Amino acid sequence: MSDASTSGDVEPGHDHEHHHEGPGYATPQAAIEESEREQLAYVMSLYVGTDVDAPDFVAVVDLDPDSETYCEIVDRVEMPERGDELHHFGWNACSSSCHVDGLERRHLIVPGQRSSRIHVLDAADRRNPELETVIEPEDVFEYDLSAPHTVHCIPDGQILISMLGDADGELPGGFLELNEDFEIEGRWEPPGEIEMNYDYWYQPRQNVMVSTEWAAPKTYYPGFDLEDVEAGNYGRKIHFWDWEDGTVEQTIDLGEEGQIPLEVRFLHTPESTHGFVGTALSSNMFHFFYDVDADEYRAEKVIDFEAREHEDWDMPVPGLTTDILISMDDRYLFGSNWLHGDVWMYDVSDPSNPRRADSLSVGGTFGEVQEVRGRELAGGPQMLQLSLDGERLYWTTSLFSSWDDQFYPEEAERGSVMLKADVDPRTGTMELDEDFLVDWGDCPAGPARAHEIRWPDGDCTSDVWQ
Amino acid sequence: MTNHDATLEWPDGRSRTIEVREDETILEAAERNDIGLPFGCRTGACGTCTGRLLEGAADDALAHRRRPRALKDRHLADGYVLLCLASPRADCRIAVGSSVHTELVDNPWK
Ligand code: FES
Repeated sequence: MSDASTSGDVEPGHDHEHHHEGPGYATPQAAIEESEREQLAYVMSLYVGTDVDAPDFVAVVDLDPDSETYCEIVDRVEMPERGDELHHFGWNACSSSCHVDGLERRHLIVPGQRSSRIHVLDAADRRNPELETVIEPEDVFEYDLSAPHTVHCIPDGQILISMLGDADGELPGGFLELNEDFEIEGRWEPPGEIEMNYDYWYQPRQNVMVSTEWAAPKTYYPGFDLEDVEAGNYGRKIHFWDWEDGTVEQTIDLGEEGQIPLEVRFLHTPESTHGFVGTALSSNMFHFFYDVDADEYRAEKVIDFEAREHEDWDMPVPGLTTDILISMDDRYLFGSNWLHGDVWMYDVSDPSNPRRADSLSVGGTFGEVQEVRGRELAGGPQMLQLSLDGERLYWTTSLFSSWDDQFYPEEAERGSVMLKADVDPRTGTMELDEDFLVDWGDCPAGPARAHEIRWPDGDCTSDVWQ
Repeated sequence: MTNHDATLEWPDGRSRTIEVREDETILEAAERNDIGLPFGCRTGACGTCTGRLLEGAADDALAHRRRPRALKDRHLADGYVLLCLASPRADCRIAVGSSVHTELVDNPWK
């Protein structure tokens, strides 16, 4: 089922009362059962910070194995300006709006992390999306916000974007709200609720949102500097919000072992109060959950990735766990250790006791596989995306242009790649697909970096259920 | 309005001299001359546009329009400048290109 063919039928297994008339799927299980195999991927692609004098673009990648252009970038939507650093993006509507008649999952909201420019693409024609509207940085700065990051739709058709800095690239960050016509509605939260911001996820049925912390834009933009860690300029807290009020109810300091909490995910099941957050610098995985007896959220470290010695490096190298995702059936947690070069998979059927299922050692500083289809890899696994049925895991290799330059300078010369593993959810195993490679090194204007991946009809890192 | 000559020098040996008005930034003048230089935020936060003054004291040759937040004191002392904020006060020679920005931070584990 795609959104284009969404009918007014009541979906089987629909567990709440209204009819399913809007975008997406009625339940996570429906997403697994009713979705078709992904045929296309949208991937953030960028030139910012290189000497290639071209704008960043959204790549449309052909993922249909029966197509003649399988593994190729079949369309590129160029941004109007240079200097954006396209990073994360999202849909105007997801399954959280499945009850909103007439709303379509049709527009991609594509922010520039460095420029603060927000682009809206019309993806009605899935293979040829077109630029529709642009919100200029000055209009964003008016709300004393900058550095847009995570885009989620809110269940009534509006769009919420986490913003990491103020208009000057300093703290505090906040949230910017857009209306259905892609105009700035204003700030979503009363200013001053948080200092640092990064990723967020919400669980409307529990009236809760959770947000994480990277740092002030002026801190992380130029690159990673240990001095900033020592000065406490990087985050280590997560915040639990009252979703209706837009106010912080509880903040948990994850401490030394929770430095730089980045991607955060609740389980997909709308009733669940369990979730995970990956802390990049400490390279740990925290499980958080609502403790009914204590009437508050708790966070516990459940996975610890040890730093590894490297003969050419002075200090043990952290894994740098930069991205995580949860399979649509809530059984597996996947993640990437960008510096080590690992993609891993844990069984989280019991979320407080994740059990290691499998991992792949590919790319990065220590990866056993350092080339695919004869193409040398230039970075570690980074942004992940999983097919809705949980059987194919894809990833790209760029983290952030200035951080790439520090740890994998070759990536600027060779460009990023997109790779894939076949996953067997029954046995909990992964196998690298040695035939699959999408190469950003061959782009017409020069090698480009590739970052976040989305499917046209919903994915494991953007769909929320109400 | 006073103009100054800014000579932009790339690591591959290429160089271009452009006239820059005192009220425009080096980045703006480069764009006016169809020269593509790296940039990102244009507000002095991201450092993507970093250049390095090749001779003279940074303060005399270039004035930052506002505080160059992406540069730390040690960078400013070493002659690094943000081309999205810097306007000339004298003729100057500036190293440009994306590799200048990568000099600001190195791999802390290596
Ligand atoms: S463009 Fe960001 S500091 Fe100049």
